Amino acid sequence: MRTTSLKKTVTIALLSAIAFLIMYIAFPLPLMPTFLTIDLSDIPAIIGAILFGPVAGIIIEALKNLLHYATTGGIPIGELANFVAGSVLIITGTFIYRRRETMRSLLIGLCLGTLIMAVLMSIANYFVIYPAYAIFMGFPVEQQIQLAQAANHSIHDLFSLIILAVLPFNIIKGILVTLISIPLWVRLRPRLLRNS
Amino acid sequence: MMNIIIGQYVPGKSILHHMDPRSKLLAVFALIFIVFLANNWVTYGVIVILTLVAIVLSRVRLRFIYKGLKPILLVIIITFVLNAFFTKSGEAIFDYGWFHLTTGGLQQAAFISVRLLVIVIMTTLLTLTTTPIDITDGLENLLRPFKKLRFPVHEFALMMSIALRFIPTLMEETEKIMKAQTARGVEFSSGPLTQRIKAILPLLVPLFISAFKRAEDLAMAMEARGYRGDIGRTKLRLLKWGLKDSLLLLVVIVLIPVLVLLRG
Repeated sequence: MRTTSLKKTVTIALLSAIAFLIMYIAFPLPLMPTFLTIDLSDIPAIIGAILFGPVAGIIIEALKNLLHYATTGGIPIGELANFVAGSVLIITGTFIYRRRETMRSLLIGLCLGTLIMAVLMSIANYFVIYPAYAIFMGFPVEQQIQLAQAANHSIHDLFSLIILAVLPFNIIKGILVTLISIPLWVRLRPRLLRNS
Repeated sequence: MMNIIIGQYVPGKSILHHMDPRSKLLAVFALIFIVFLANNWVTYGVIVILTLVAIVLSRVRLRFIYKGLKPILLVIIITFVLNAFFTKSGEAIFDYGWFHLTTGGLQQAAFISVRLLVIVIMTTLLTLTTTPIDITDGLENLLRPFKKLRFPVHEFALMMSIALRFIPTLMEETEKIMKAQTARGVEFSSGPLTQRIKAILPLLVPLFISAFKRAEDLAMAMEARGYRGDIGRTKLRLLKWGLKDSLLLLVVIVLIPVLVLLRG
């Protein structure tokens, strides 16, 4: 796609608008605490990152979360977590994709990105996100665990909560995003290249 | 899904409407942190009174504020119930099985819910009395110092306003595509998860294609009108900082020592 810098700017803006719309249709998974909602809003950011590089993808993640925060308000911990998770997935994914630019490298990149994202988010949840929720929302970690126990009985402490909920949640989210992004890119690519 | 109010702006002529978006942004941002200084009845009282004054000054009908609160109301209720039943301090009011309701728990629950409510009401008031474009302009202006660090503040603000402008358009587009694909036999709202995910693809492909096309048209239109970034760009609406803006910031600054003195 022939791109001037203005066209790139405008395209990134429109991809962010799509990402925002997708973020609105978030749904919780069975067997998981309700605050972990699957949303596929990383897809436009991945498409943007493939087209214009990882920085564009990160900008889309940032704009999407800003817009989401501006419309829902409250305390932006969820938005921050979403931004970090999406950015990690995109940086790893495009880093590997850009070396070969084949479908296979995209698949490998996104799978690796999913793994790294899931592990990093588990660590971040253990040390930052849960304690942050405890401070801002006023309900300590123990109560959040009790809440999670209602959804899944084998959760009994923060560590098991993360292993049984946060880690699989992020992996499922990453796999879903990968499973949709790749066929989407396969279908978009010929049209975008033809316009050059 | 289709009734998202993006830019909840309600036109009006109140003091809050006429304030500079920069002062409102700064005040709301500071208040989100200041609220955490409150820790007893007096300090929470001060903050609640301040919030009520802000609501009255905005002259926005309560219905609109409630609309802004709706998405977070459930979170606040859950937080209240959890805090009320799981905090064990003070006298017991009610004790049955594993239900313990204590005065301390009730107080804790009330405080935290009020804190959340105040933060949400403040941000809602900001979006109710300021147009999304004004918020973006104000943000661009406040973030100007970051330009020195080579952060593209202007481009970021531009992208934000374009995204805001096109969310309703793309929403309409999505609805149209969904109807078109439903007519072809695609099921979006029923069936097992795998089938629903498969149904997403015929929705996304046309949506992306149309977004790319729109971006191309818009970029061309902008270039044809001589857009060259923020160098030498003039504005239709200029931001004006007035006395009431300074006063608002003064109130916020004075609030900090008052709360520090009154807190227990």
